[in-house]
Amino acid sequence: MASGFQGGIITRGYKSGSIIYFEGDKSEYIYILKSGRVLLTYTKIDTGEEVKEEVRQGEFFGVKSALGKYPREETAQTIGETSVLVLNMADFERMILRNVNVVRKMLRVFSNQLRRLGKTVRTVLGETDNVNPDVELFRIGEHYFKSGDFNKATYAFKKYMEYYPNTDYSKLAMDRIKAISSGGGIPQGKPVKPAKDDDLADFSMDDDSEDVFSFEDKPSPKKEVKPDFSFDSEPHEPALSSELSSEMDDFLSDDNTLDEFGDFGLDSNHSAKSEPTIKEKFDGAVASLKTDNYKSALEVFSEIIRDGLPEKQQDKKIFIESYFYTGVCYFNLKNYKNAMTHFAEIVKKYSDSERMKESLLYIGEIFEAAGQKDKAITYYNKVANASPKDSLNSKAFDKIRALQKS
Amino acid sequence: MLELDEKFFGRFGVEYNPNEIIFCEFEPGYEFYFIQKGRVKITKIINDREKTIDVLSAGDVFGEMSILEEEPRSASAIAIDKVRVLKFHRDNFDTLLQGNPQLAYKLLLIFSKRIYDAKRRLMILLLEEPSVKVMDVLIMLAEQNPQYDMEGEITLYTTSQQVASWAGMAEADAQKELTHLTRVDKIDLYEDRIVVKNIRDFQRVIASRRKNLYS
Repeated sequence: MASGFQGGIITRGYKSGSIIYFEGDKSEYIYILKSGRVLLTYTKIDTGEEVKEEVRQGEFFGVKSALGKYPREETAQTIGETSVLVLNMADFERMILRNVNVVRKMLRVFSNQLRRLGKTVRTVLGETDNVNPDVELFRIGEHYFKSGDFNKATYAFKKYMEYYPNTDYSKLAMDRIKAISSGGGIPQGKPVKPAKDDDLADFSMDDDSEDVFSFEDKPSPKKEVKPDFSFDSEPHEPALSSELSSEMDDFLSDDNTLDEFGDFGLDSNHSAKSEPTIKEKFDGAVASLKTDNYKSALEVFSEIIRDGLPEKQQDKKIFIESYFYTGVCYFNLKNYKNAMTHFAEIVKKYSDSERMKESLLYIGEIFEAAGQKDKAITYYNKVANASPKDSLNSKAFDKIRALQKS
Repeated sequence: MLELDEKFFGRFGVEYNPNEIIFCEFEPGYEFYFIQKGRVKITKIINDREKTIDVLSAGDVFGEMSILEEEPRSASAIAIDKVRVLKFHRDNFDTLLQGNPQLAYKLLLIFSKRIYDAKRRLMILLLEEPSVKVMDVLIMLAEQNPQYDMEGEITLYTTSQQVASWAGMAEADAQKELTHLTRVDKIDLYEDRIVVKNIRDFQRVIASRRKNLYS
């Protein structure tokens, strides 16, 4: 087997009958047949039948498994003296960026395969392809309507009206839209958030009114007094050492420079004379947050929180989001105590909110930052185990592994 | 990240607020999207509950099946944060490709992965016995995470419901098989995770079943 360079890409020569790769191999190389012949042999999934296919000169092979990072699905064997170009993924990318037509052709081939596969899967599952998308779309609207998520419900009903104006449920869809826009969209099912009003009555931004987290479980640093502290536990001593906390405060006050960048997100939104809605305020603050302008963001989030829990369902969501983002701001400002207070509030009161998992992850990170490895792991574990599984789970999982190694 | 950004944003850029629907499951769709900023969750309503299938962020593409398919959307896309996307109609696809070959490359990666996932699922579905199907789902889930050590105990963060859906079975049936595997000490079954004691065992069983399937 002889190798040589050609424009940075390796050319490799094979004798007749050589195997370039076996089915099941893992590799990130992609090949182009330069001269000679290559035969690909694979097994059809549904029939077990062995299929042979010859690569034409100038054609790529081994593309999908390399790009998708999965094992080779076929064996590639040479017939006669054969020479191939060997590309790694970067070479391949460079090459196709210069030749879009090749990509377009590949995309067509791939999407055809995908379509055929999808069909086979549905057939095997005995699913008929004739579900009625109109009925299903209406059902999605109903789902959100009943769970009190009126923005999403309105979206689905409007799309239903747009695409299927004269069908079975169009009158009902119209009624729903009207009910929602007149504010009378009282959910018939149970509301999404069983947030009890009395629970919220004693809701306070006051930092030391209720210290739900202990940063350091008081004196004995060797032994954990309360290894499994719970958010439901009675308020206990603000346990963050005053030294640490004053350090954090210094950090905060040093941070004035952040303001100089201005919160244009807010300004542009608020040039209008009228009082900004809670949503406009919130969006502005999120924009500030995204540009790392934490202090400006904090001011607005605090304002939203200070106004108390709103009446409207969608505003309630913003309220909870504000709580969450306040925690994020404090976290980024390394004011861990205040960050913890806010994340803990979400865990305690809004455990069914979409921010629950992220809050738990942040709590883990706060413990990690405070050097409390075991507790950090406890919280990462909660995230790692929560379903549905998304990128947060793997993030938590990675963090646990990193901590266990350290 | 793709470099299409600013000059395209004016023409194709769209912004969404947190929790806003970008497109809805079962809605006809002719556009595909490229995320510039923020996160988007892909969800489906299953048994009257919103299930998150995936969370995407800047640099990711979604809705790409609409480029070549005429089918309604198979899932909903919902903004998690303030999201900025480039939204392209399928009719502009060729023009777009010409100017932005990186996008084409990205799509090749996505399609490659999807094809494999679909094939892998098909392989599971074609197995005959429910018990073997369930085992193969567990193998597939383990394979999806390259960081797992296949020689040791493996924790899969999945539920019997998800296993059932991969295997194309009723949840009760999958639950039955999982309970059996627990009883014979092959797995530990928790509400939110499944610990597989020896995945190599399962792989041997499946390999021999697959051989028999065709003979």
